[in-house]
Amino acid sequence: MNCDQFYSVFRHPYSITNLASVQNNTSNKMSAESDMEYSDNDGDDYDYYGEQDDCDMEAVDRTKSDPEYFLYTCLRVEEVEKLLNESIELLSNSLQITPSLAKVTLHAYEWNAQEIINKYKENANEVLVYSRVKSRSPVLQASTSRSSCAVCANTPPMHKYSALACGHYFCNDCWAMHFEVQIMQGVSNTITCMAQDCELRAPEDFVLSHVTKPNLRERYQQFMFKDHVKSHPELRFCPGPNCQWIFRAWTREGARRVECQGCELLTCFSCGAPHHAPTDCPTIRRWLTKCADDSETANYISAHTKDCPKCQICIEKNGGCNHMQCGACRHDFCWVCLGDWKSHGSEYYECSRYKEDPNMSSDSQHAQAREALKKYLHYYERWENHARSLKLEEQTLASLKSRINQKVMAGEGTWIDWQYLWDSAKLLKRCRYTLQYTYPFAYYMDNGPRKELFEYQQAQLEAEIENLSWKVERAETTDRGDLENQMDIAEKRRTTLLKDFLEFHTTTASSSKV
Amino acid sequence: MANIAAKRIKREFKEVMKSEEVAGGSIKLELINDSWTELQGEIAGPPDTPYEGGTFLLEIKVPETYPFNPPKIRFMTKIWHPNVSSVTGAICLDILKDQWAAALTLRTVLLSIQALLSAAEPNDPQDAVVAKQYREDIRLFNLTASHWTNVYAGGPTVIWEFNQKVQVLIEMGIDEDQARVALSTFEWEIERATEHLFS
Ligand SMILES: [Zn+2]
Ligand SMILES: [Zn+2]
Ligand SMILES: [Zn+2]
Ligand SMILES: [Zn+2]
Ligand SMILES: [Zn+2]
Ligand SMILES: [Zn+2]
Repeated sequence: MNCDQFYSVFRHPYSITNLASVQNNTSNKMSAESDMEYSDNDGDDYDYYGEQDDCDMEAVDRTKSDPEYFLYTCLRVEEVEKLLNESIELLSNSLQITPSLAKVTLHAYEWNAQEIINKYKENANEVLVYSRVKSRSPVLQASTSRSSCAVCANTPPMHKYSALACGHYFCNDCWAMHFEVQIMQGVSNTITCMAQDCELRAPEDFVLSHVTKPNLRERYQQFMFKDHVKSHPELRFCPGPNCQWIFRAWTREGARRVECQGCELLTCFSCGAPHHAPTDCPTIRRWLTKCADDSETANYISAHTKDCPKCQICIEKNGGCNHMQCGACRHDFCWVCLGDWKSHGSEYYECSRYKEDPNMSSDSQHAQAREALKKYLHYYERWENHARSLKLEEQTLASLKSRINQKVMAGEGTWIDWQYLWDSAKLLKRCRYTLQYTYPFAYYMDNGPRKELFEYQQAQLEAEIENLSWKVERAETTDRGDLENQMDIAEKRRTTLLKDFLEFHTTTASSSKV
Repeated sequence: MANIAAKRIKREFKEVMKSEEVAGGSIKLELINDSWTELQGEIAGPPDTPYEGGTFLLEIKVPETYPFNPPKIRFMTKIWHPNVSSVTGAICLDILKDQWAAALTLRTVLLSIQALLSAAEPNDPQDAVVAKQYREDIRLFNLTASHWTNVYAGGPTVIWEFNQKVQVLIEMGIDEDQARVALSTFEWEIERATEHLFS
């Protein structure tokens, strides 16, 4: 490794504290990278070289070897609460406003405390109007009467009325009912005034001064927290079922892999969909919508059994590998296209490529529709099949674990001796995951040399994954060196493809937030 | 029913009854049951619109949480309008959804629905087919809306050509309302409407 690169990173450590202080700076990663290239080398920092921070070293290593590397952290609810409270405190201290008001403005300005402080010093009124806690037009005196409440028509005494800054007075019972109804419907930060056409929002302290039921207050605080996380550009809830973990990262552009510490789910930080490299966020959304819309057309594919193309005996697929060998006639064939496996092992792997029918008569609408469906089904079938293989490999992984445990118990070596088996199965899973997501990418690609290159690399990856899958399923009888070699090849194919095709568009963090 | 909801509805009912709109015959409100949970509204089609001369009935259901939640309102009279479903009568109007405010009343709501008949919002459609026609062929839209007003709401404009086309489909054994929706949807072309109905 090059020393220049090494030590410049220590001057720009990818540490949370450093990045957190530059909120909303989407070009963070880029500026750090360009600093790497043009770092001065005057030796001042040389002393720090000795105090290597393992994390940073790893970060440097991984950005080089893993095109999907992305800096993020997994936080628990309490940690996020602390983080949010720090912003709230900072703002309420520096502007001398209540924490409740600080929350409203932070929510409105997507937690950019610095922007609020600057703008507030320039024009406090504008900040309050933008945050919808103050009316733009001056408050009309007695715009609502305090002799009878316009909502319930009751006539409580004067002191039992209250109003937001807009001066729309309603009786306290009505406010309480209003908040109760809104909270039960899951609304928290955006509860508005009860007057017609008034968009003013009720800050937390106003709401809580009217809501007395403890369970309702608690619900309100919970929704509030969820809302805060959703409005924060650096945070995203793990979408795993019942999962409480929250991701924190600093950009929202392109396919960004984050893995949950709690449920191990792979998510794209930018859009919240399952991780989808090399496909980008808008494309995967299109693809998933299309698949949902066309699910019936594609249903017939999800069969788990097929007939051997040679002896026609019915074969059930129970592993992830698509290189099938018929138990009856020993014929090697491909599960996806039912072609002879021999044609798949060669340099030019044809199975993944969609060949458009050159004889298609372009004048017939029906023929075109049929061709479009055929094309879609080609990609969908492969997408589906890899998804299913992935699930099956999950089982392979589980059974492998118990087999290794048995070996260790029987005294056949230690876990460390068998670690490579485990690693190979994990790597296989990772490769197949990427391979699955190459199909929507290819589907939406325009024809041309770039698509040809992509499909070539995809085919290479697919071939090596099937080789690896074959070997992993027979891992105990495969030579260790052979297996490790295959792991290496497959992972290289995967990273090459990602390096060449994974793009990060330079949209700003806030605008790409969904 | 919650005390406050009933109290409010009673008061609003009186307010509507005393209003100048009722006196002028442009809106009406009637009670359907004694528990004040269901009412029937009536609005006159506004002048200089294809709805002029028609009378449109509205179903009004008052939720338990009224007025903190909006009343549920739909057209009982069939109507051809971009913001109303030609099949169910469901209305797309912001104050009946997220722009509802507890201080709004049935009177203002009825007047807003009436105003919607004068000024459609084709960019926030309830019925995509109607909205498309409204945007692309306003002349045909106006004719179709007049025809619906005549047939369902007692409007004065009779469009013989449309009546005859509906009759042709009825003679093929198609239900009258279905025939009218299909013809209205397919620009009053009998061939396309029947192709759609028989496919
Ligand atoms: Zn009140
Ligand atoms: Zn107000
Ligand atoms: Zn999780
Ligand atoms: Zn994404
Ligand atoms: Zn066979
Ligand atoms: Zn194949």
